[in-house]
Amino acid sequence: MVTYRQDLPPKGGFDPIEFAARGPKRMFNGFTQFGIFLGVTGLAWVGWSYVKEIMRKEELELFDARNAVEPFIYAEKDRAILTHYRRCRDEENKLMKNVKGWETGTLWGEPVYHNVRSRYIKPSLEELVTHMSPEKQHDMIFDKLIR
Amino acid sequence: MPYTNQEYLPSYEELTVPELEVTSAVFRTAAHHLGKYCDNVCKEFMLCRSEENDPRKCLNEGKAVTRCGFEFFGKVKKHCYAEFNQYMQCVDHSGRLMDFKNCRKTQATFDNCIKEHFGQDRPELGYFSKVRLHKTCRPRPTMAPHIMPERVPDPPSPEELRKPTDKLKNPHFTAVI
Repeated sequence: MVTYRQDLPPKGGFDPIEFAARGPKRMFNGFTQFGIFLGVTGLAWVGWSYVKEIMRKEELELFDARNAVEPFIYAEKDRAILTHYRRCRDEENKLMKNVKGWETGTLWGEPVYHNVRSRYIKPSLEELVTHMSPEKQHDMIFDKLIR
Repeated sequence: MPYTNQEYLPSYEELTVPELEVTSAVFRTAAHHLGKYCDNVCKEFMLCRSEENDPRKCLNEGKAVTRCGFEFFGKVKKHCYAEFNQYMQCVDHSGRLMDFKNCRKTQATFDNCIKEHFGQDRPELGYFSKVRLHKTCRPRPTMAPHIMPERVPDPPSPEELRKPTDKLKNPHFTAVI
């Protein structure tokens, strides 16, 4: 008596083996896909133009504010820098008053710059910080307001 | 210091004036109205600054600018103190750039107050960013004359060089030949 059952192929046989690659099913044809792309891009373009206009206006308002305030800042800054030049010159006069033959603003009588037309010359950073303490020099050079 | 004692530097008395000691938020808040209130003075100062390229020559214009700012802020403090403070608080806490876009309501209140007491509207968008012409009575700056050294005499021409010169009479020269 046989109690087991022999494994056999299904009725009608196995399905044929699919050896060819199967691509995904296409939802749209090429023209529709290109149409959708154009539509979405066009809509985004229109939306971006609105957003860009808003951003431009906001930036312009900030530029306006900066430009309007600029003269006030410059007026104060010019006065501050001229006060500093004056202080540096006075300090040099005081420091070198006992040295014979020294003239302020020159190297033993020879001027620093060849300035025939008496233009405005901005002193170099080293000249501005010469008479400061090392801590203040560091602050000035690295633009620290509070130590 | 490249400045000698003969060169002009303004004295401390000329340079010491009361300064506008306000923070950036106050300037940002007041900017448009302040700029319009002091329009002529500011234009004069900036023109002077760009023409002369010399802060020593534009001191008086700069002082006028600061004085005008004092006048404006004094008037604001007198008439629109509460509105200004409200708007300033909003702008100060508006964001990284102190944007105006979050503060339109308080801005409208402040604008109304300014309109009532100063009689000026908020300038239109882009007013300070466009090129504005300015008529001034200050003469156009002229540079000092550039004094050049004397011209070096021309070298002798080849014909002159070819002529027999006194060099031949030089005993050393003839000896070399």
